[in-house]
Amino acid sequence: MTALSTSAAVEAAPVRPDRRRPYRALQPGRGGRAVRAVLLFLGAVVTLFPFYAMVVLSLKPTGAITMPDSLLPWPISTEAYERVLGAESVLRWTLNTAVYSIVSVVAVLFLASLAGYAFARKRFPGKEVMFWSFIAMIMVPYHVTLIPSFIVISEAGGVNTYWGLILPTLANAQAVFLMRQFIKSLPDELFEAAMLDGCSEWRMYTTMVLPLIKPILATLGVFVFLWHWNDFLWPLIVGQSSDMRTLTTGLASLNAENAPLNIVLAGSVVAFVPIFMAYLVGQRYFTEGVTMTGVKG
Amino acid sequence: MTVSDTAVASRRTSRRREARVGLLFVLPVFLFFLAFRFGPAIAGGVLAFTDYTIGAETSWTGLENLRRLADDPLFWRALRTTLIYSVLAVPLSILAALGMALLVRRSFRGSRLFRSIFFLPVVTSLVLAGIVFTWIFSAGGPWSSLLGSVGLPDGSWLSDTTLVVPALVIVAVWTRFGFGMLILLARLQDIPRELEEAALTDGAGPWHRFRYIVLPELTPALFFLAVIETTMSFQVFDTVYVMTGGGPAQSSYMLVFQLYDQAFRYFDFGYASAIGLALFVMTLVVALIQRLTLGRDR
Repeated sequence: MTALSTSAAVEAAPVRPDRRRPYRALQPGRGGRAVRAVLLFLGAVVTLFPFYAMVVLSLKPTGAITMPDSLLPWPISTEAYERVLGAESVLRWTLNTAVYSIVSVVAVLFLASLAGYAFARKRFPGKEVMFWSFIAMIMVPYHVTLIPSFIVISEAGGVNTYWGLILPTLANAQAVFLMRQFIKSLPDELFEAAMLDGCSEWRMYTTMVLPLIKPILATLGVFVFLWHWNDFLWPLIVGQSSDMRTLTTGLASLNAENAPLNIVLAGSVVAFVPIFMAYLVGQRYFTEGVTMTGVKG
Repeated sequence: MTVSDTAVASRRTSRRREARVGLLFVLPVFLFFLAFRFGPAIAGGVLAFTDYTIGAETSWTGLENLRRLADDPLFWRALRTTLIYSVLAVPLSILAALGMALLVRRSFRGSRLFRSIFFLPVVTSLVLAGIVFTWIFSAGGPWSSLLGSVGLPDGSWLSDTTLVVPALVIVAVWTRFGFGMLILLARLQDIPRELEEAALTDGAGPWHRFRYIVLPELTPALFFLAVIETTMSFQVFDTVYVMTGGGPAQSSYMLVFQLYDQAFRYFDFGYASAIGLALFVMTLVVALIQRLTLGRDR
C-alpha cells in the first residue's frame, strides 16, 4: 500500500453516524424498504452462515457429519470442547497467541508513540529523511522482507522463541505514521504550556502526551492486537515446533492432519471467542482501526 | 556577555537539547526498522541474485534466478492464477461492498446491527474462514447440496481444477466486502445531502441520483479500494494454504504460496526472493497506475 492511499484512508476513517434526520423523501418508500429488508436479510444469512456452521458443528459428537441434519442445533455434545480444552497443545497455543499479541501491542504502542511524538513536535537533523523512509516501507510488500527477516532471526537463534516471533513485528511503519499524524493535529498551546513549566521530556511524554493520545492508542492497539491474533505466515515459519505454534498455525496443522472436524471447529471457536467479545465491546475501535490502516490481519 | 547573547546561547542549547531528545525518541523504532525492514528490503533485492541456503555457502549468481523464473512454467502459471483470482475477487468484493453500503447507508431501525454483521468476517482470521469454507465447499457439504438441489453438478469445488479458484474468490469476497463497505460508507456520509435533495426536487429517480451524484462522489474511494484490494489479492496465502495447498494439480498455486514453498519447503531462499521481487514489481505497477489516475483527476 502506498503512503498516498494510507493518507486517503485516514481521511476516510472516521465513520460518523448520520445523526441528522434524513430528509424524508430520500428515504425509500414502502416497496423500497421491503426490497432493502429482503436483500439485507439475505446478506446477513450469507455472512453469518459460516459462523453458525462453525458453532453448531463444533457441538456435534465426533463422527460422520451429514447434510442437512448436522446443521440442526440438536443434539448438543460438548465432547469436542472437552477434548480441545483438555489438550495441553491448544492451551499452549492460546498462551502463545496471547503473548505474541499482547507483548506486541504494548511494545508497538510505546515505540510508535515515542517516535510519532518526536516526528510531530521536535526538530532534529535527518527528521524528514527518516520519516519518509519509514513511510516508503509501507509500500514494500511484507513478503519481500519476509525471507531476509527470517534469515536474521534464524541466524540469531530466534526460531521457536517468543522474541523471534515478536521483534520483527515491532517495526510498524503504519503505527508511527498514524501516531505522528494524530499528535501533529493536537493544538500547539498544549505543548507550549508544558514547555514553559520546564517539564522534563520524559515527564512531558508520560504525563502530557500519553493522556492526550488515548483515542489513537485505543484504536491502534485494537488493530495491532487483531493483526497479531490472526497473523499466520510469520508464526508459521518462526514457530515451527508444536509447542511454539499460535492458534492459527496450530489449527491449520490440526486441519492438515485431518483431525475430526468437530475438534478443529471447537478449536476455531476458542480462537474466535476473544476477538468476538472484544468486537462486541469495542466495535468502534475495530472499524476505525481497520479502516485507518486499510489492512486486514 | 550582553542580555541578547545569553538569549541566543540559551536558544542554541535548547535547540540542541530538542534535537537530542528527538533523535533519542526515534532511535528505538529506527533500530527495529534497520534490522527488520530497511535491511531486509535491501537484502530481499540482493538475495534474488544469489544462491542462498541457510548454513551453506552463499554464491553470487547474477541473473540466474531471474532467468530460472522466466523459464519456470510453474511461476507463469502461479502468476496467471494470481491475476485471474484478482480479476475476479477485486471487482466482486467491491461490488458487494458498494451494494451493502448503499443498503445500510441511511439510518433505520437495525441498520447498525447490519453494519456490525457485515463487518464481522473482516475481524475473523483467514485460517478460521478457510477451515469452515473447506467444509462448506466439500463434497456433500452445504454448497454442493445447494447446487445439487437446483440441478447443477454437485461435486466439491475444491477438488475441481477450474472451480477451485472461484471457490477461493467466494471466500475472499466474504472476508473482504465488509471492509470496503465501511470505506464507502464513510464517503457516502460526506456527500452533501442538499445535492441529492435538489436532484430529487428536479425529479431525478434513484438510478439517476446514484449515477450522477453518488457515483462521481464515490469514485476516489472506489479507486482507493481497488488498489488496496488488488494488493491484498496479489498476496493471497492463508486461505490457499488452509483450503487447497495449491491443488488440485497446482490449479490454485499462487505467487505467495510459491514463494513460501520455495523458501520453506525447498529452502531455496534466493529463488524465493526472486519471486518476492516479481511481487514487488506488480505492487509498484498498481501503485503507479493509482498515482497516474489520481493525478489526472486532480
